[in-house]
Amino acid sequence: MFSYIVRRTLQALPILFGVAVIVFMIVQLAPGSPIDRFRTPRISPAQLDALIRLYGLDQPILDQFVKWITAFVQVWRVDAWGYSFLDGQPVLNKVLERVPATVRLMGAALLTTIVLAVPIGVLAAVKQYSWTDKLITTLATIGYAIPSFILGLYLLYFGGVVLKAFPLFGMQSFGKSGDVADLIWHLVLPVASLAIQQIAGWARYMRSSMLEVLHQDYVRTAKAKGLPRSRVLGKHALRNAMIPIITLLGLSIPALLAGAAITETIFSYPGLGAMFVQSVTVRDYPTVLALTMVGGVTVVVGNLLADVLYGVVDPRIKY
Amino acid sequence: MTTPQAGQLLELRDLRTHFYTQDGTVRAVDGVTFEIRDGQTLGVVGESGCGKSITAMSVLRLIERPGRVVGGQVLLRGKDLMEYSDTEMRDVRGNQISMIFQEPMTSLNPVYTCGDQIAEAVELHEAVNRRQAWARAVEMLAQVGIPEPARRAKQFPHQMSGGMRQRVMIAMALSTNPELLIADEPTTALDVTIQAQILELMKALRERNKMAIMLITHDLGVIAEMADEVVVMYGGKVMERADAMTIFERPHNPYTKGLLASIPRLGEKRERLEVIQGVVPNPLNLPTGCLFKRRCPYAMPVCDTAPPVRQVAPGHVSRCWLTPAGEPPRIGEDAPPELAEESAQELTVMAR
Repeated sequence: MFSYIVRRTLQALPILFGVAVIVFMIVQLAPGSPIDRFRTPRISPAQLDALIRLYGLDQPILDQFVKWITAFVQVWRVDAWGYSFLDGQPVLNKVLERVPATVRLMGAALLTTIVLAVPIGVLAAVKQYSWTDKLITTLATIGYAIPSFILGLYLLYFGGVVLKAFPLFGMQSFGKSGDVADLIWHLVLPVASLAIQQIAGWARYMRSSMLEVLHQDYVRTAKAKGLPRSRVLGKHALRNAMIPIITLLGLSIPALLAGAAITETIFSYPGLGAMFVQSVTVRDYPTVLALTMVGGVTVVVGNLLADVLYGVVDPRIKY
Repeated sequence: MTTPQAGQLLELRDLRTHFYTQDGTVRAVDGVTFEIRDGQTLGVVGESGCGKSITAMSVLRLIERPGRVVGGQVLLRGKDLMEYSDTEMRDVRGNQISMIFQEPMTSLNPVYTCGDQIAEAVELHEAVNRRQAWARAVEMLAQVGIPEPARRAKQFPHQMSGGMRQRVMIAMALSTNPELLIADEPTTALDVTIQAQILELMKALRERNKMAIMLITHDLGVIAEMADEVVVMYGGKVMERADAMTIFERPHNPYTKGLLASIPRLGEKRERLEVIQGVVPNPLNLPTGCLFKRRCPYAMPVCDTAPPVRQVAPGHVSRCWLTPAGEPPRIGEDAPPELAEESAQELTVMAR
C-alpha cells in the first residue's frame, strides 16, 4: 500500500508538470495584462514600460515559464510562488493563510454530503417506486439542476435578508474569534449552497448503486441465512454499494474546490475560492498560477485518495 | 394447523406464487403440492422456467415484488410458514431450512471473508460468541473438504475456485444443522468433475447430518445419483411424482417420458438426440387445458380440458388424461368431465 502511494505520487509529477504548462499558457492567452489596472490617463508610457520590465513581462514566454516553475517548486522559500501584483505580499503566505477557511468549508460540505446523501440514496433504493422514492428522485433532479451561483444567491437572500437567520458575509463575527458556534453559524449557508448539488448527485448515484447491489445473489444468500433486514442492508448490501461511490469522492473534492470559488465570492467567505476570483479579475498572475496549481494538485490527490480507498473497501483490489 | 404425521418435515399444499408484471400475471407456481419426509431427498426437475426455483424461494418466503405467494400452505412440521411473522420466519431461514444456490461465483459476498460469512450464520442462530462461531466456521470448512481450513477461512471468495466456493456455501448452509437443505441447481455452474465431487460431498453430509434435501435441478443424471423421490414440474404445475426408480423405469406422464428420452446415453449410437418438440409455452399466454398438449405426442381432443391428477400406482401420481395403463381415456368412464382439475389436495392423499 505504501509503495503504491509513493508510486502514484511519482506518477503525478509529470501530470502536474503538464498542468503547469497548460495553466501558464492559458494565463498568457487570456486577454488583458497585469498592468492594465495601472493604465490611467495620468500614467506615462515610460512608467508602464518600467512596470513591464519590473514584472519581467518583456522576457520571452519560455524564459518566464522556466523562471516561474523553478521558483514555484521551492515551496520552503517564502517567495517561491512570487509576490502578489495586488498587494506585494508573498503568494505562498497569502494562500496558506486562506487554506484553513476553504478546507473547513469544503470539509463541512463533503461531510454533510456523505452523511445525508448515503442514507437518502439507500432509502430511495430500498423503497423503490414508492412515494418516498419518487419524492427523493424528483428533489434530487431539481437540486442537481440548480446552478450553484443561483442557489447561493437565493440562500443568501432568503436565509440572510428575508429571515435574517444567518449572517450575510464572512467567516466569523467581529470579536468572536475562536467561537465554534459562531463559525458554524457562518458556515450554514455557504455549506448548503456548496453541498446541495453534491447531495443531489450523490443520492441519485447511491440509489442506483444500491439498487444494483440489492439484486445480487449474495444479498439473497444473506436473506436466506436468516439475517434481519437491517443487517442485510447495512452490512451486506451497503458496503458493496459504497464501492462505486468512492469514485464520486475522488471527483467531488476538486468539484467542491471549484464550487468554492463561486460560493465564497457570493458569501464573501475569506477562502481560496474568493481569492481566486479576485486574482483573475485583476490579472494577478502569480496568484492565479499558484491557485490553479493548487487546484491541479487537489485533483491528483482526490484521485489518489479514491484509488487508495478502493483498496480499503474492496478486498479484490490489491496494490 | 394440522397434526403432522410422524417423520413428515415439509408439506406444500396447493402453493401458488404469481408475478404481477406489466404484461400480465405469470403463474410461476400454480398449485404445487408435495411433501418431504425427514432424511429424504426429493428431486424437483423440469425445464428452465417451470417454477422449480420459485417454489424453493416461496418456501423460504424470499419472493420479492412483483412476485407474491398468493395461495396455499407451506407446512413445516405442520405449521404454516406463510402465517409466520417476519421474525419467526428469519429464525427458520438458515436454521431449520438452509438454502444453497446455483451460482457459487456470485452467491458469496465479495467483501467479507468466507469464515466471516459462515460464522455470521452460526452466531445468528446459536448461543455462541464470535470466537466460537469462527471455530465452528473453520470446522465446517474442514467438514466440506477444504484443505487448510483455518487459513482458507480468512480468505475472500475471489481467492477460491467455483467448486471451493460451492463448498463454502454448503458449509454455511450446514453450519446450523438444518433439518432441510434446499439446493437450487447446486452443481449446474460447475464443471463435471467438480459436480461429482460436490454431489459426493452432499451425499456424505446427508448421511452424517440426517437431513432432508430438496434438490432442484434440470439434470436427470443428478436426480438419478441423489434422489429418493422425484417431482417433475412443468409450467408451474407438478406433472408427475413418484419414487426415483419408478420415474426412470416406468414413467407415466408424456412430459417425463420426453425428458428421459432426451438424455444421451453412453454406449448408445444415435444420429440425433431426441428432443421434446416445441418450446415451453409463454407463461403470459398459457394454453387452456393441459399445458403440455402442444408438445405432447399423445395429445388428444380431451387435452383441451385440464387433465386430472391420477394415481398410476401407489405413491405414483401423474397429471394426464392417459389411463394408468397409458391408454387414451374412454370418455364417460376414464374421463368424466367433472374429474377435470382435481383439487391438488388429493394429490398428496393419493401419493401416500
